[in-house]
Amino acid sequence: MAEVKITSLHKKYGAFHAVRGIDLEIPDGEFTVLVGPSGCGKSTLLRMIAGLEEITDGEIEIAGEVVNEMRPRDRDVAMVFQDYALYPHMSVSRNIGFGLKARKMSKAEIDGRVRAAAEMLGITDLLDRLPRQISGGQRQRVAIGRAIVRSPRIFLFDEPLSNLDAQLRDEMRGEIKRLHQDISTTMIYVTHDQIEAMTLADRIVLMRDGVIEQQGAPLDLFERPASIFVAGFLGSPKMTFLPGRLEIGDKGAAVALGDGAVVIPLPADRPLAGATNGMSVILGVRPEHVSRAKGQDLGPGHLRQEVAIDLLQPTGSRSYATFKLAGMPVMAELEAHDVSRPGETIAVDINLNRASLFDAASEKAI
Amino acid sequence: MSETNVIRRLEAAGLPPQLSRFGEWADRHFKWVLVAPAVLLILALSIYPLVYSLVVSFINFDFQVPGHAFVGFKNFERVIADPVARWSLVLTAFLSFSSVAIEFILGFAVAMTMMRSFPGRGLIMSILIVPLFISPVIVGQTFTLLLQRPFGPTNYVLSALLGNEVTISWLTESPYIYFSLILADVWQWTPFMFVILLAGLTAIPPNLYEAAELDGVGPWQVFWSITVPHLGPMILLAITFRLLDAIRLFDTIFIMTGGGPGTSTYTASYYLYTIGFTQFHLSQATAGSWLFLIFTALVVVFLVRRLLKAETN
Repeated sequence: MAEVKITSLHKKYGAFHAVRGIDLEIPDGEFTVLVGPSGCGKSTLLRMIAGLEEITDGEIEIAGEVVNEMRPRDRDVAMVFQDYALYPHMSVSRNIGFGLKARKMSKAEIDGRVRAAAEMLGITDLLDRLPRQISGGQRQRVAIGRAIVRSPRIFLFDEPLSNLDAQLRDEMRGEIKRLHQDISTTMIYVTHDQIEAMTLADRIVLMRDGVIEQQGAPLDLFERPASIFVAGFLGSPKMTFLPGRLEIGDKGAAVALGDGAVVIPLPADRPLAGATNGMSVILGVRPEHVSRAKGQDLGPGHLRQEVAIDLLQPTGSRSYATFKLAGMPVMAELEAHDVSRPGETIAVDINLNRASLFDAASEKAI
Repeated sequence: MSETNVIRRLEAAGLPPQLSRFGEWADRHFKWVLVAPAVLLILALSIYPLVYSLVVSFINFDFQVPGHAFVGFKNFERVIADPVARWSLVLTAFLSFSSVAIEFILGFAVAMTMMRSFPGRGLIMSILIVPLFISPVIVGQTFTLLLQRPFGPTNYVLSALLGNEVTISWLTESPYIYFSLILADVWQWTPFMFVILLAGLTAIPPNLYEAAELDGVGPWQVFWSITVPHLGPMILLAITFRLLDAIRLFDTIFIMTGGGPGTSTYTASYYLYTIGFTQFHLSQATAGSWLFLIFTALVVVFLVRRLLKAETN
């Protein structure tokens, strides 16, 4: 049980500046997910918290104590590695209990703890096997077992699910979430998978090029992305970005797409801090905010438009349909039977209350 | 469409040309024709001499005694009864096991040191493996010069270091002579152990060490629980190779001691060489070679079995 405080943290590998001034506070018991594209410094940050990478500059505090110079073993943190890092010549039970043995715990207590951890993870019948005799998902459970058996102050996960197949990944994701609900220890989890980040996190820290792009509750980031990067990174299929020009007139603001071929009025109550008439903007529309028009016009905040569907991708429960708006492709997430075949012309409603607007120059949200 | 075209064109081309009877035979047995030269070479240069040597070991083929009569196991008895032969076997075992043991420990230590990165590591590494490129005869010659009395520098340096005069006959006095032979072997072959063990060490995934560090496992326990089991097959491989090489130790003996003083540094190879090629008791030497082969085979089979087992694990 411990909170983590990171102050202006830097990491350089020679000329390469991997982490460039990170400030982050992780409260006790929180599940924080560090997410970002590969090379954004998220794993380096995690490894610095673990003590496996030296700190070039800045400070890391765990439970109020600066740990910069503390050896990893003394930090009382446990880490689950991407490729499990199980000791290949030891049985599952020895793997789990190795850290306890190193801490000179009695054999009876080690056995008890190993058994308890194995029961929690449903691997009691594997205890005598060697790592190479069990499957990838089981190995990951053993690795998690090795972490929880020590009851550390902090759990660190370094892309623990990326070596598993899709189905197993979903299953283990649920188990990790349950684990956090059960033991509520501080957990820091690194992933490049936005779905893992959204589903697991109490708080997402989205990183890019060694800095934090945005942090907050998953839905905050999803609904109010601070930049085009955040908006594009979270959500699948991706948000559609439509470049246009902002027109602020007597009847409110609107975005003119193309050469004014399509003008999209913005909701009257939408704040437009720092926006000027005629500036280049990018309108972001998520696929789920486009729906097939039914019944009456939904009024302000919605745009009804006749479109021709030119690509249809059914997934079973939903169908992803692509159409062109002012010559630019827009994706819509429709109900499975809204469109039967590509080429069909339908009316869609675009919910502009949920749309995002970015300054095209700075790529930041307006 | 295109396939039918191809078939039509093939039909138009007609049947393949008819071969002569010899041509047909050669065509059918072409694979044998290809391997024949290699098989003949092996038969002539390996299999025939091997079988012939077995024959020689049971007949009288001594250049000093006329006739080629069948003598049964007499040649073998002569070798077994020869105290020099028995001593040479013991000495071979002693020298090879002790040099390989020392080489292993030193090589392992150096390999562990070289796992860390420090300035000049590449240069030191290159210098360390130089002895491997030197012919054993030259190594023997060099150590002879270094250890020789009274002109070699070894005693001089030792005297200066210890403060009183050292007069050891490194090449003619027991037990120093054995020490000298082991020293030369260790100097030349430690790099071999080092290179193989370093390759093994580099192949151990670093995150195992990281996991152990986070688990709070001490360095000694890490060494025994992670490094050694991982390195197992490599250790066996290095020891097997080195031991097989050390067992046939000849060159340095030939150069440094000539088997002397007396017969006290006769190794098995040197003994067989002396009996066969300086005394020309060819039958006895051949019988001795077969006995030595059996001993060597026992060691080889033991080691290779372990090695294969380690590999499959």
